[in-house]
Amino acid sequence: MSDGQGRPAGRRDPRRETTVIARLVTRTVVPLILVTAVALLVRGHDLPGGGFIAGVLTVTAFALTAIIYGLDELEETLVGVTVPGRGVLSGVTETFAGTFAAGLALAAAGGIAAMLAGYPFLSQAVVFVEGVPLYHEVELASALVFDLGVYLVVVGALLTILKVVGRE
Amino acid sequence: MSPDAAVLLAVLGLPFLGAALVPAVHRVLGERTAYFAAGVAAVCLALLATQADAALHATPDAGAVVVPWIPALGVELALYLDGLALLVGFLATGVGVLVFTYSAGYMRDEPGTQRYYATLLAFMGSMLGVALAADLIALFVFWELTSVTSFLLIGHYRTTDAGRYAARKSLFVTVVGGLFLLVGFVLLAHVTGQAPGLARTFTLVGTEGSLLANPEGVRGALETGGLFVPVVALVVVGAAAKSAQVPLQIWLPDAMEAPTPVSAFLHSATMVKAGVYLVGRLRPLFLPPDVAVPEWTLLVATLGLISMAVTAVLAVGATDIKELLAYSTASHLGLIIAGYGLANEAGVETGAFHIVNHALFKAALFLVAGIVAHEAGTRAIHDLGGLAEHLPVTAAVTVVAALGMAGVPPFNGFYSKELLFEATWDVAAHEGGLYLLFPAVAVFGSVFTFLYSIRFLMLFFGEPPDGLADREIQAPPWSMLAPTVLLGGLAGLVGLAGVLATVGVHVEAFETFLASVVASSAVAGGHGFEYHLPTSPSPYAGMSLLAIGLGAVLYPSYDRLHRGVRRLRAVPHTSPDAYYDAGIEGLDRLGALVPRYVQTGVVRTYAAVLLASTSLLVLGGYTAAGADLPAFDGFVVGLPIALVLLVAVVGAAAVGTAPSHVAGVLTLSILGFMVAVFYVLASAPDLALTQLVVETLVLVILLLVLDELPAFYGEATGLRSITDGFVAALVGGTVFVTVLVATAGRPDDRIAEFLVENGGVPAEHGPVLLDAGGGGNLVNVILVDFRAFDTLGEITVLAIAALSVLTLIAMRGTGGAP
Repeated sequence: MSDGQGRPAGRRDPRRETTVIARLVTRTVVPLILVTAVALLVRGHDLPGGGFIAGVLTVTAFALTAIIYGLDELEETLVGVTVPGRGVLSGVTETFAGTFAAGLALAAAGGIAAMLAGYPFLSQAVVFVEGVPLYHEVELASALVFDLGVYLVVVGALLTILKVVGRE
Repeated sequence: MSPDAAVLLAVLGLPFLGAALVPAVHRVLGERTAYFAAGVAAVCLALLATQADAALHATPDAGAVVVPWIPALGVELALYLDGLALLVGFLATGVGVLVFTYSAGYMRDEPGTQRYYATLLAFMGSMLGVALAADLIALFVFWELTSVTSFLLIGHYRTTDAGRYAARKSLFVTVVGGLFLLVGFVLLAHVTGQAPGLARTFTLVGTEGSLLANPEGVRGALETGGLFVPVVALVVVGAAAKSAQVPLQIWLPDAMEAPTPVSAFLHSATMVKAGVYLVGRLRPLFLPPDVAVPEWTLLVATLGLISMAVTAVLAVGATDIKELLAYSTASHLGLIIAGYGLANEAGVETGAFHIVNHALFKAALFLVAGIVAHEAGTRAIHDLGGLAEHLPVTAAVTVVAALGMAGVPPFNGFYSKELLFEATWDVAAHEGGLYLLFPAVAVFGSVFTFLYSIRFLMLFFGEPPDGLADREIQAPPWSMLAPTVLLGGLAGLVGLAGVLATVGVHVEAFETFLASVVASSAVAGGHGFEYHLPTSPSPYAGMSLLAIGLGAVLYPSYDRLHRGVRRLRAVPHTSPDAYYDAGIEGLDRLGALVPRYVQTGVVRTYAAVLLASTSLLVLGGYTAAGADLPAFDGFVVGLPIALVLLVAVVGAAAVGTAPSHVAGVLTLSILGFMVAVFYVLASAPDLALTQLVVETLVLVILLLVLDELPAFYGEATGLRSITDGFVAALVGGTVFVTVLVATAGRPDDRIAEFLVENGGVPAEHGPVLLDAGGGGNLVNVILVDFRAFDTLGEITVLAIAALSVLTLIAMRGTGGAP
């Protein structure tokens, strides 16, 4: 996730200089947070968790990075978009906005897929797959697709807000 | 036999389709779009005519064409065609054809003809909707559509102050009247739901369960609820606003700012007839049989007669030919409403017959007024005279129409006015006392009607005034003349049919049609209808003679009367116009106060106003609904929870004394995290997780924002801290009460039971689960499965919020351009 090299902080406001401890902790913690978020998303159907919490947690990881390393660093390394962009919907904001748009589309598409199969809009189904090594029985819920949509919307929307407010 | 559903829907849909096509048609046909619009009207007229047979034999308990609209609320698009609906439909489409043709000449070289024809077609469709609708909600929607389209038509010349004033006035009066109507309709439907043997219905007529099919039951239900008079009054206010009855007639004279064909169409034959139509339609519902003077008569007939007399007097005071016609319209509508208000047979015949007569002679006279204004270049009565020399055909039409309006035999208006005299005389003769005023007022109004009708006629005779003598007056184009002649001719034919009937030759088709119009509003079934000149002396013939005689005696002093009426109008506090203007001015002033006290541009004010009003609304709602607070039975929390909550309270108290924003936000987060711990202790892991994560994120965002703000604003002043404290206490109290009330409610937990039973993985299950949630986390199963639609809505809101932030903040300062 992080490029692991630690950029020189020269071009940033010296007032915002963060300590080595904070940067090291962040670098260690952010991957853990992200993995936890994915775990919360996947297990949400059976245990506490779900798309919303996972989304907010992911955004927290991004926010932590932004505070410690600065927004520019976040954009360049974590998201990988370097186009500065002058317009409102360009550069990294476009990526964020695209994320929540995709999430919304995914959630709705799942519902429409149910309609195509002849069930009411947004009907969900569960499939039990037997005989999987290690797990024995795996429960595949179509609701996970919907939850993934929720996750993407939350991540995209909150990051957009964070980015726009942070840039001010 | 019920009308053809497809035909009725086509009649209703075609005008709107035509309106949508006008821009495209205008590109090809240009000024000749008028003939396209006339064609649409003609097709609708022909389609309606094919259903005439069904309409003549309609009964109120069958024959409605029903298209479901909002089935959950019992609202449907029900269409019904009987004599009355057919008459209004014929007027809308028939006069429509003529007015569109006339417009081809009148609107040549005028601005905005595309808009004009599209709106006029849409208006025609709305009017047909009013006539055909058998459902109260559909009727109301079309009713308001006529108000909106008429607003656009009256304000056709939108750059003139007078045009804008007139358009706003008509919209204001008719729409506010419409709201009265809506309340009346909703009460009516609500009350029927309470009555034994009746189901709550919005269907007015045409099905077995409809209101008009069960008038006795509906009246009984209204009276039991004590709502009979209020509902009648509400409906009558709505109708009076639309039909320009005193004191709501004020918008009609101003509405003469509209192009003259619009006045001919809206203000003689159609829009103002909507109110009359409603009174006629609801008459059998509100009028009990076998009561000589029911409440309905006291309200409606009195209103009609007063309007008839007052506006006839005002018409004599008019200085402009269209103003004269406008007041005269209000007067004749008063006559019709008075007729429908009276409980006897002659009363309902007056209403039905005079709708026809008035539409014919008044539409013709408006078209005449248009020709006069168009060719003579002025509408001022004093500047006009002797026009017959230049406009002989128009003069001939005016003779027929104006004498019909005056009620001179054998012209058409005479017969229906005679019926009103008969109806009022009957009531007065049987009841005596104050009811003697009914015929007296009717005669009084008729005298003035005679006076202004003759004044209008005299525009064409006598010596032309100086200014006019020099002007070269040309004959109008045929497209303007032909519709005028046709309408005048029809008015003449109606009169002629009366003469023929006197000698025993009846025009069966017309009489059958009128009989069915009468039957639509009659209380006791249908019967034949015929009219003829009086053949023997009767009190009513005497009243006619008296009205005409008095008019003829007074006519030589018309100018003195005219000046007298104008002096009377100038007396302060007598004109409803002044009250309207003062009311609008007061609203303006009230509006100016809002930015000073509410829209101050300071976030603090917005927050205080929003929060305080929301809290008051919520608390008001609890009080109105009679919500009970649960009884307090001691603290039942354990020590850990009590400790956590105590820390939270300390944190909350510390926020108020924090020395800076950053410190305040950090202290506030103590409260948030303590709540999260509380959730953990209260076995709500999902809530605890969410609270923790959200709290963290909010803290981060707040710190980011606060970075840009001043560290501290300084101490609050005395008054401000008091108001802020009050708002804070109010909001806190509201939330507290809400939590108590919400958790105290113990509904039958059937949904909760269902969710618990179906949410998890059942013990016995196949490889695929479709009808159950199949998840161990019930909260999430509800979110993504049982209530997935709600969640979809919520994430949509989230996406919209992000977009709003994006546009609000990122586009700030760019003037809206991205």
